[in-house]
Amino acid sequence: MILKIAFRNIFRQKRRTILTALAMVVGFALLSLTIGLSDGAYGNIIAMFTRNRIGHIQVHRDGYLDKPSLYKTIDNTSAVGETIQRVVGVEAWTPRVYGAGLGSVGEKSTAVQIIGVDVARETAATRFDQKVVEGSTLSETPSHEAVIGKGLAKIVSATVDSELVIVSQGADGSIANDVYKIVGIAESGDDITDRVACYLHIEDAQELLVLDRRVHEIVVIVSNINRVDKITSAIETQLNDSTLDVAPWQVVAKSFYRAMRTDQQGDAISRVVIMLIVAIGVFNTVLMSVLERTREYGVLKAVGTKPVQIFWLVVCEVVIIALGSICVGALLGALLNYLLSIYGITYPQEITFGGMKLKTLYAEVNVRCLVIPAITVMLSATIVSLFPAIKAARIMPAKAMRTH
Amino acid sequence: MEQAQRTDVIVTEGVTKVYEADGIPINALNGIDLTIQSGEFTALVGPSGSGKTTFLNIISGLDAPTEGKVWLAGKVLSEMGGNQLSDFRRDNIGFIFQAYNLIPVLTVEENVEYIMLLAGVPKAERHERVITMLEAVGLKGVADRTPTQLSGGQQQRVAIARAMVSEPQIILADEPTANLDSKTGADLLEMMRRLNTETGMTFIFSTHDPMVMEGATRLITLRDGRVDTDETK
Repeated sequence: MILKIAFRNIFRQKRRTILTALAMVVGFALLSLTIGLSDGAYGNIIAMFTRNRIGHIQVHRDGYLDKPSLYKTIDNTSAVGETIQRVVGVEAWTPRVYGAGLGSVGEKSTAVQIIGVDVARETAATRFDQKVVEGSTLSETPSHEAVIGKGLAKIVSATVDSELVIVSQGADGSIANDVYKIVGIAESGDDITDRVACYLHIEDAQELLVLDRRVHEIVVIVSNINRVDKITSAIETQLNDSTLDVAPWQVVAKSFYRAMRTDQQGDAISRVVIMLIVAIGVFNTVLMSVLERTREYGVLKAVGTKPVQIFWLVVCEVVIIALGSICVGALLGALLNYLLSIYGITYPQEITFGGMKLKTLYAEVNVRCLVIPAITVMLSATIVSLFPAIKAARIMPAKAMRTH
Repeated sequence: MEQAQRTDVIVTEGVTKVYEADGIPINALNGIDLTIQSGEFTALVGPSGSGKTTFLNIISGLDAPTEGKVWLAGKVLSEMGGNQLSDFRRDNIGFIFQAYNLIPVLTVEENVEYIMLLAGVPKAERHERVITMLEAVGLKGVADRTPTQLSGGQQQRVAIARAMVSEPQIILADEPTANLDSKTGADLLEMMRRLNTETGMTFIFSTHDPMVMEGATRLITLRDGRVDTDETK
């Protein structure tokens, strides 16, 4: 009966119910949208950062990540790679060689980062060919070719077909130097990388740095980024080699990951502010409704309704409105997120996050953007109904029935 | 009903009620000592402000006295907690208010059924008692209507049905005929008198209505919060 009264009370004051529900629906949709856009933006950034650059998981010689060194190498690259490939969920893997050197084009010189890549594997794993914005990608066989970052090309005034001289140090202690033909200019989406990146065929890089067939890094791409932790553990188990470190992208790019988490916490604060505004609106209408019906609560109490039943009557009314609002809000939130996942919001100016350039913000439709607002709306509505409900439950019948 | 079978259903001892209005204390009741026995048809009379409604509120536990004690059906009201008092009122007292005070979102049938629902009376029994009671007050044909679709007299009949359906020991009626025309008032009074005779329920009215005073078996006059006269007919 309490539920019946609560339900009928909702339809009694239609305008107030619509206002309360509207506040909840708008709050839900806004929350859903902020989560959808936030997840979409970070999803995009993470995808660019991992898929195009660092991969989802990396394997190194023990200690390389903390203190990279030319000498900390993976010796049996093919065997390690094949073992990784057998792990369920692994899509691709690619080896890399790193070295520091001095790059010169004509009379201009600057520090460069030598990145030796297996062209075929790198293309399959990180879409290396798509980074080349001018000229062509590297040949699949070692041909003394180089692809350099756009920023580096600007620093040394290089163009496609320029000759690049690299001076470095070999792993055997010798001075390493060689000449490479620049066949392409690359843009990775990260300005810092593009100012130093010098991509060589992995065998050319191994020859220059006297590494034989050894590599510094194996980059792994997985089919589902959400399973990266499980796949990392599976790779560790399969490799069963204490001299190798297997790290997910969150560990590889610690500072990027921390910056992203901090930014996400900022989003959480804005969500709390949205919900506070909604909660204040709901609180106001519920309190007004209770005050207007003081006399009725007095009558209910007079005829034997317990204070706790009156408490639940008020809470039930708000919860019923919240449930309806959540259904409408979920439809609206999902629709808005879906539309923004297709059309996106184009920034007036390109923005940069962790070196990643973003032109358009796309939303993501996921369970989070429906479940979190639903829980938040229901919780805040229930919480704000507590004070009016307690007030109604504690009414003195005689005094309440004198109210008009 | 024989006098020998009667028991004390309401006993008040030194009941005092002081209100504050704009910081000024107002003595609504000044030490009322009364005993009301089962089966009485008592009218509380007196001028406006004499304390009739306040007295009814206090003996029903709707309000608390500033001083004094109230025994209702042998229990001290001030010793009960909120939920206990609600249960006690539900099981022992039926209310008839001047302004009817029906629950606007419930139908006539649901209004009458409400108290039995709170008391956990089984559905079949509830239905049977509601039908019987609505027949008794002449409202069987309007069971599905809401209070706003009824006349004042009909609403007061619903209030009477609601008050009596759970067969409480005591019916407290605050100016039950004040908003009714004289014929409807007379009909309702007759009906309550009949129910009093048939069931032995105790009726206590606060009233200005000479017709109610005439029908009462005991007339208590309050003046300035004190019992001025107490006549048994």
